[in-house]
Amino acid sequence: MSIDMSQFYQVFFDETSEHLASMETLLLNLDVESPSLEDLNAIFRAAHSIKGGSGTFGFTDMTGVTHVLETLLDRLRKEELRLRPDMVDAFLAAGDVLRAQLEHHQGAPEADAGEIESVCARLNQLASGEVSDVFSNPVAAPPAVKSAPAPEAPAAEAPKARRVRLECDLPAGVAGDPGMLANLLDGLAEIAALDMQQRPDAAHPRLAVTLTTQKNDAELKEAMSFHLSPEEITLSDPDMPAAAAEPADDGFGFFDDVPGLPVAASDDGFGFFDDAPGLPDATVDALLGARPAIPDEDGSGAYGLFEDAAGKRENLPNRDIAPGDSPAAIEGQGYGIFVDAPGGVGLFDDAPGSQHMILATAPAPLGGGASGQVAAPGRRLTDAPAIETAKTGRRDNDKTVTAANSETSIRVSVEKVDQLINLVGELVITQAMLAEAASYLDPVQAEKLLAGIDLLSRNTRDMQESVMSIRMLPMSMVFSRFPRVVRDLAGKLNKQVEMKTIGENTELDKGLIEKISDPMTHLVRNSLDHGIETPETRVMAGKNPKGTLTLKASHQGGNIVIEVIDDGAGLNRSRILGKARERGLPVNDAMSDHEVWQLIFAPGFSTADVVTDVSGRGVGMDVVKRNIEGMGGRVELESSTGHGTRTVIRLPLTLAILDGMSVGVGGETFIVPITSVIESLQPRLEDIRTMAGDSRMVHIRGEYLPFVSLAEAFNLPGVEVITRGIVVVVETEDGKAALFVDELLGQHQVVIKNLEENYRKVPGVSGATIMGDGRVALILDVTAVTRMGLVGSGNHARRKLAA
Amino acid sequence: MEHSENSGTANSGEFLTFTLGAEEYGIDILKVQEIRGYDTVTKIANSPPFIKGVINLRGVIVPIVDLRIKFSLGEPTYDQFTVVIILNIGKRVMGVVVDGVSDVIQLSSANLHPAPEFGSILDTRYILGLGTVEERMIIVVDIEKLMTSTEMSLVEAATA
Repeated sequence: MSIDMSQFYQVFFDETSEHLASMETLLLNLDVESPSLEDLNAIFRAAHSIKGGSGTFGFTDMTGVTHVLETLLDRLRKEELRLRPDMVDAFLAAGDVLRAQLEHHQGAPEADAGEIESVCARLNQLASGEVSDVFSNPVAAPPAVKSAPAPEAPAAEAPKARRVRLECDLPAGVAGDPGMLANLLDGLAEIAALDMQQRPDAAHPRLAVTLTTQKNDAELKEAMSFHLSPEEITLSDPDMPAAAAEPADDGFGFFDDVPGLPVAASDDGFGFFDDAPGLPDATVDALLGARPAIPDEDGSGAYGLFEDAAGKRENLPNRDIAPGDSPAAIEGQGYGIFVDAPGGVGLFDDAPGSQHMILATAPAPLGGGASGQVAAPGRRLTDAPAIETAKTGRRDNDKTVTAANSETSIRVSVEKVDQLINLVGELVITQAMLAEAASYLDPVQAEKLLAGIDLLSRNTRDMQESVMSIRMLPMSMVFSRFPRVVRDLAGKLNKQVEMKTIGENTELDKGLIEKISDPMTHLVRNSLDHGIETPETRVMAGKNPKGTLTLKASHQGGNIVIEVIDDGAGLNRSRILGKARERGLPVNDAMSDHEVWQLIFAPGFSTADVVTDVSGRGVGMDVVKRNIEGMGGRVELESSTGHGTRTVIRLPLTLAILDGMSVGVGGETFIVPITSVIESLQPRLEDIRTMAGDSRMVHIRGEYLPFVSLAEAFNLPGVEVITRGIVVVVETEDGKAALFVDELLGQHQVVIKNLEENYRKVPGVSGATIMGDGRVALILDVTAVTRMGLVGSGNHARRKLAA
Repeated sequence: MEHSENSGTANSGEFLTFTLGAEEYGIDILKVQEIRGYDTVTKIANSPPFIKGVINLRGVIVPIVDLRIKFSLGEPTYDQFTVVIILNIGKRVMGVVVDGVSDVIQLSSANLHPAPEFGSILDTRYILGLGTVEERMIIVVDIEKLMTSTEMSLVEAATA
């Protein structure tokens, strides 16, 4: 296999990050009191995948850490050890170390060696804590990759000449065709000396041959890959009658062999871990009956397959090969899966893949090595469901080319998706132009054309929706990082916090997903630091000592609403007002709660008495607000003293499309974002009041709102008579304002285009869009346009607005 | 740096000539993306009068400058004969309105004479030289420098 591995590094990095993330999620969700075996298995699989991948690519430092991690996990999985909270901590720490190492391989500074060592030591200590079995404890081997192997390690994977028994059922087409058969055998003969034991023919398609070769199993299978998928091929050792110690040795050998034969090695490691800890499970022995109690069988059992395995044992032809052969079989199967995935993409499939591999081969040792028949692909999946999590399941389908299921998802660069979205945007515009042009046609004469245009419009709309949905990602992408944040922070602050998430499947544009996570982290930290009280305070207040932090996402109209809710102390009105006075902000006691809460969004505002490393520097909420407004969203606070705080973030679904109201001013069309429109009305002359002569205000239901004429702001010939125009009341950053326009034209979904791309920033305008008639319309930035209009019409109103 | 290089290559090569009133101008043909008729533009508030506004060029928002207004040449009339040259400068697309497009000519740097210094509206900074073709004088403009200049206010001052 002379493939340049480095071209697959990115795949490894991506997948490993995913594995680390899923491992972390699983760990955080783990119920320490009674961990579910399924979760432990899933964590183990994630760790194992990382190990396999890092081994393959020669990232031996990661292999070392995952190895110890795996050891401990394996013992937990087999219920040899009881899960303790400190173990979860150790696992999380190990996850961090792995992440640091991974980043190091991607070019970040080197991970802290001391940290790695201490994490490994901790894991080792935890793993060896309750060792009580007769087998040598694998953990005894130091985690360092290059450390001395256990003395008995025979380095079974070294590429020396060895004898391998190969069995497979050839497809009828091959077995029956002497030419093809000869071809196949010649191919094998090139890499190995053949000792034919059973020559296949049309009636008996089974091929059995003993090979003497330097090649490893994967290469052997590769040689056959034209005719057979790897799992149809069984490789075993013809000379090994019952080498009970062998598997464990292989495992140790793994560490020596990493650079040379990483894939094979990691699989061996897999076998090893199953084997090493011995035979705790009584059922295994029972099932095995008179068979020698070899570690392998135990190992397979660890996957919870005994029922299946036992069942099959009865049905399998009992071959002469001793059960001890199985390590080779396992290795062979696993290897086959890797090799078979072309282009190396499948190299990392070992989470599900190797799981399957074990599943497939599990019956082999029990059945005496006749795994060839058991390892049919269909079998594997039917055995698997209990331990497949949704995630690994998907990945499995993605990548394992040998899997019976076809691919269900692909990775595509965002650029391509964006290009597609742009093109569809153009299509929508073109369609709108066509529809407009067709509206002048005689409906009787052009009946067919009009029907076609109707159909086109429906199709484009559907197409736009589905294209937009490509960019949509579930909120769980954001939420998933918080359990860890909450856990760490709660620990640091000595608080007890339970985190809940609601609506994590709500979808949001990818661009927004990326941008929302920082502001949310800030809000979560705030809630934990300032909101939720210490357990003692909570008990005194008659609350559950454990605080609750809820993250909630939902759709509301064209918006997505994200809420961060805590049941803590709530905001302290008098303290905020006090702080605001200290800072010289214009406040008074008559302010509404809503206005008071808005104060905490002022730059540099913090009510914390002590600046901690969590919060209190006051550089937060204003940044949160600015970030969210930058995304076209809004943030609101609700709080009730003693009961908690709720922060509500409203965001548009995507950055690319905006719901807008089109208004006409002096023959031009402008788009007002619908999120900022409160109401529109026809003003009466007596509602317009002036102040200090030139600044006008409009009196709407008891409120005096600054009156901004768009025609004046943009120097356009708008209507002169106030009663013939329309007032659109908008919510700006400075409060409400009334925009005076000539007419309301309609409501559209518009595709936002950047003006700055070819032009420059235009005051009062946030972007442009293309209307149905192909013309360009400018999208208003209501805050900026209001300020512009007010500067134009006098400074009194501006001062009034600011107050 | 890039400017001078571009100007250097523009010194000898093909130029698109167009008329503004009675004068004939030439610009590097490699900067020209396409030539099209004049469409209704969307006005941009508070912009100088020579910036006519923006148009939708197959989904791209393109600003349109009327060079006739900018250089006070010819009558800024807009009819079916009004021509817009769409330029591709740097990564920006912009359009200029001219009276008419006449020719594509070859000019070598030997045929280019430096423009005399005098205080015209068109600063000599933006003139690569004066070329002569069949008794016609062609004012060769460094269109990139001109369009990205601050006085055109087409680009943000910081990037100009």
